[in-house]
Amino acid sequence: MELTILAVAFTVLLLLGIPVAFSIGLASIATVLYAGLPVAVVFQKMVGGMQIFSFLAIPFFVFAGELMLYGGVADRIVRFANSLVGHVRGGLGMSNVIGCTLFGGVAGSALADVTAMGSVMIPLMKKEGYDADYAVNVTTHASLVGVLMPTSHNLIIFTLATTGIASVSVFSLILGALIPALLLTLCNLAAAYYVAVKRGYPTRGAFKGWGEVLRAFGAALPGLMIVVIILVGILSGVFTATESAATAVFWALLVTGIVYRSLSWKDFLTACAKACKTTGVVLLLIGISSAFGYFMAMYEVPQKTGELMQSVTSNPLVIFFLINLLLFILGTFLDMAATILVCTPIFLPIAMQFGMDPVQFGVVMLINCALGLNTPPVGVTQFVGCAIGGISVGQVMKSILPFYGALATCLMLVTYVPAFSLWLPSLFK
Amino acid sequence: MSFACLVLAVVMLISIVVCVQYQVVGRYVFNNTPTWAEGLALQLVLYVTALGVAVGVRDAGHIGMESMIGLLPESWRLKLEILIHAFVGLFGGIMAWSGWGWTVMKWSDPKPMLGVPVGVDYLALVVAGVLIVMFSLEHVIALLRDEEVVPAWN
Repeated sequence: MELTILAVAFTVLLLLGIPVAFSIGLASIATVLYAGLPVAVVFQKMVGGMQIFSFLAIPFFVFAGELMLYGGVADRIVRFANSLVGHVRGGLGMSNVIGCTLFGGVAGSALADVTAMGSVMIPLMKKEGYDADYAVNVTTHASLVGVLMPTSHNLIIFTLATTGIASVSVFSLILGALIPALLLTLCNLAAAYYVAVKRGYPTRGAFKGWGEVLRAFGAALPGLMIVVIILVGILSGVFTATESAATAVFWALLVTGIVYRSLSWKDFLTACAKACKTTGVVLLLIGISSAFGYFMAMYEVPQKTGELMQSVTSNPLVIFFLINLLLFILGTFLDMAATILVCTPIFLPIAMQFGMDPVQFGVVMLINCALGLNTPPVGVTQFVGCAIGGISVGQVMKSILPFYGALATCLMLVTYVPAFSLWLPSLFK
Repeated sequence: MSFACLVLAVVMLISIVVCVQYQVVGRYVFNNTPTWAEGLALQLVLYVTALGVAVGVRDAGHIGMESMIGLLPESWRLKLEILIHAFVGLFGGIMAWSGWGWTVMKWSDPKPMLGVPVGVDYLALVVAGVLIVMFSLEHVIALLRDEEVVPAWN
């Protein structure tokens, strides 16, 4: 009965349009009241869920991403990507994919990626005669790689969500997501090339030589160094993940304020303010979800869901497919952080029971959530892309299939071939 | 009001970054890891969150499924929007009340690394809760008067 109240209250409040964090909070309070427990339990769990040191990495990565957004890093990355692949068929589409991947590494968020790269690349592609729907689809899909990059705060959110179920280090998750990120980029490149050939987009200009590539790379390097600093810092044991995130903020300030000199005082303040707001929204969600997760564990939601799924099939391959399907459906409605926080406590124990490693599950979950960012009704990345491209979501959906294909291919490979996500972390154990 | 919250939050966010950086510098340069830095950073992040949450309520920054509202007829939409803000305010109220209970109860327990009472953690809930109630009331009043709530800083 308590469980019914928790689930029904959450769903109804969410459907009414109450923000996710508040829906979770009110549903938890309703459950506690019915069960005759003190309401204070909810808030004790909430504050407890926010007192973990690795938790601090989240505001830091958000902050660094905001700073990079304002600091002229995107333009330099576009120039580099263009010098590299601008001359092949559908060249701008290809350099868009590469540019978004690199900037995704710098910003660590799909939304920041599509905002920064989209506002440079989409108008440029339209000017060069590419269709708007192609420009938007390429950018929004390529930006999704940002959620898998070492600077992604969603990686940290996932490791926090596994607390009490499995021990997943931020370190192994960062490494585990690297090859899948590369895989996703390759799938995106293939889709961008396929559509470019099918639509007969022209080739433009010749390869300008490696000298030009190197020069452009040199200009973009200070921005890209942020990924290197985080990876090398954590790998060598110089920093913890949290300290590397704080260093990333300093590096972002240094690059945009002093090296590129493109961050004005006003931009800096705007970046700070936006970082604080995002921090509030995301951290409240994490805090309140730890109360929600506590109730779900208390009322044995994972066990019950597991039993239900087992009654359908006992084949692990089918179970993994079902988990993917459910994650995808929830991801289209819920925001990324909310999906991770609500679904991890339910599905991770089931996936582990059927032999999936927590790190692999994390990567699978992140790709699923990324897919949700580009799917109506709530597709934040897609909204931003469409707004920049000046076309409707409906128009974009008409030609989205090759790009969904690319994402689905990557998702299936990561789901069924553990080596993609587990090989790299295993080297450092 | 929300502007002041945001300025305070920004100052604290920067202090957190400095705390954690100082911890690294302390460890490698001075060979002495400051024990207070981690505690202070964790303490401040609670308050950044509290203020950020409240400003998010005012500037309608929280994520939800707003697409549903658009499907309703005009007369229903206003009622639903008021209901949404009322629910958000209700949660803020419960948070402030329950947070106050914890604050009073934990005021005499000192924290191990920082020397401030554990109750300070829960005081953040009171701050956030009171601000949420105020900002959601502002939204309800603005809706009734047919006015717009303009975000303080964007």
